[in-house]
Amino acid sequence: MSQQLDVRLVKRLPGFTLDVTWSAGEGVAALFGPSGAGKTLTLQCLSGLLRPDAGRVVVGDRVLFDAAAGINVPPQQRGLGYVFQGYALFPHLTVADNIAFGLRGRPRAEAARRTAEVIERMSLGGLEDRRPHEISGGQRQRVGLGRALAPDPAFLLLDEPLSALDVGLRQSLREELAGILSDWHVAAVLVTHDFQEAYRLGDQIVVYEAGQVIQAAPRSELLWRPASERVAGILGIRNVLRGSVVKASPDRIQLRWRGQILETVNSPLRSYLPEPDSPLAFFIRPEYVRLIRKDRGPADPVHHMNLLSGEIVREADFGTTYALYVRLDNPGRPAQGDYDLEVEVPRLVYEILEIGRDRRWQLSMHRGSIQILPGSTGDESAS
Amino acid sequence: MSPEHFSALWLSVKVSVVATALNAVIGIPLAYVMARRRFWGRAAVDVLVTLPLVLPPTVTGYYLIVLLGRRGVLGAPLYAATGWSVAFTWYAAVIAATVMALPLLVRTARVAIESVDQNLERAAFTLGRAEWRTALEVTLPLARNGILAGLVLAFARALGEFGATLMLAGNIPGKTQTLPLSIYTAVQTGEAGQAMTLVAMLTLLSCVVVVASARLGARAL
Repeated sequence: MSQQLDVRLVKRLPGFTLDVTWSAGEGVAALFGPSGAGKTLTLQCLSGLLRPDAGRVVVGDRVLFDAAAGINVPPQQRGLGYVFQGYALFPHLTVADNIAFGLRGRPRAEAARRTAEVIERMSLGGLEDRRPHEISGGQRQRVGLGRALAPDPAFLLLDEPLSALDVGLRQSLREELAGILSDWHVAAVLVTHDFQEAYRLGDQIVVYEAGQVIQAAPRSELLWRPASERVAGILGIRNVLRGSVVKASPDRIQLRWRGQILETVNSPLRSYLPEPDSPLAFFIRPEYVRLIRKDRGPADPVHHMNLLSGEIVREADFGTTYALYVRLDNPGRPAQGDYDLEVEVPRLVYEILEIGRDRRWQLSMHRGSIQILPGSTGDESAS
Repeated sequence: MSPEHFSALWLSVKVSVVATALNAVIGIPLAYVMARRRFWGRAAVDVLVTLPLVLPPTVTGYYLIVLLGRRGVLGAPLYAATGWSVAFTWYAAVIAATVMALPLLVRTARVAIESVDQNLERAAFTLGRAEWRTALEVTLPLARNGILAGLVLAFARALGEFGATLMLAGNIPGKTQTLPLSIYTAVQTGEAGQAMTLVAMLTLLSCVVVVASARLGARAL
């Protein structure tokens, strides 16, 4: 059941080159990245709809494409299910005929049995004779998935399945899609430019940028250990900052930022030991910067790690949360334009602490909340 | 209605029906290939098919004579081998009408095929369908309205064909004299009453075609 998918592709287009290598196994691999990074192009090459210029695509022990050996299995024989953006249901066929479309060539009775089974499992009973324009968006998604799953594909390829929907439907269909993917135990490759979607649906995330893979990792690792500043940038991570190394051990890294020493955690697993004084990028998520309450006595450096103080120069109201832009009292140019740190607080906290009136605060950052970006060498342009 | 008029009407209908059928057989695959394939000489084929639309019909007719006449490029060997020539037979009228009507069908059908979402075809490929099966099961059914409209246009064009038919098939009463040629002859010989009858017949026939095509279009939706 669980097959390995090994992908190495080179495809040259005018003004764009796709050159990627990655693997996927059980579960869902999400290809994530901005529009135009080559994700859909990858799916088209995998499915055989487009012929790559070089590379090799192997599913289990089946070679689907090998430029060197001259192998290029046509899409009809690849045994991969493709779910298109907007589902591409056949508008002139009924729900049942759409689902049965890929079962041609099987004995009639078996095709009918399989069609009935898929309709049942997709909860599409009673809609067999409807046309795609006569059913709801959620039902259309199930028909699209059912049609691709009916022939029992080795891998399911999903091209931005949710991107054409509006927010409300999108969320409920995302949950439904997650349920179907785990129910059917089907290995899948999913393309998305929405990180939340990639994280919710993907077991593994492959990050694309400008035709290249810049990180491929299990989703939690990607979220907490982005490989580089570029990945952090694409993930939309805020407070990506640059300092310099003071001291590094397998467990800890001490760094200097804005004239102050920050204690951070290193991971023995990645055996990353930068030289003292070398530049180092790191980030802290805005919701992990703590404001120190003034009604609980003075800040205690033993209890409050990485103590800072500053003034809120701007704020943004996001309804349930507030973003506060804090400029530190440390001398020198602020790290991010007119501020040093973005701090996110829940609305309730904002109201209780009367942040609207009180603009001067002490802040602390737990060493475990500061994430080091080891891939950065300091020669990349600032984000 | 005189027997002569009746034979002109019958010939016109027969020629138009056969020409439309030929158009379907040649034109629909041609439109598909033009819409979906990129091949060497595609632009030349496009020009060749479209030319009868812009050339004066007599010029198209002249080319047909050069090609199919008794001393024509294809006609001469055929005549040498069989002693038969297509010129001045009702087949010639069919060929003239077919060539004149083809661009209307091909252009209309091609636009209709091009407007079919290619992801539907790609979906069919990934579900195991070969390209020709996909064309039959997905593309052409979805382009049906445009193709039907093209066929109606082709039929109407074939029904009204005059110049090229006159060049290749001549104007032989009872043999190659279609309704438009019959009208021309009646006017030339000063038979205004007869001309009026024929004009009325052609107008009526055209009305039938228009109504029928409207019905077809409505049903196709």
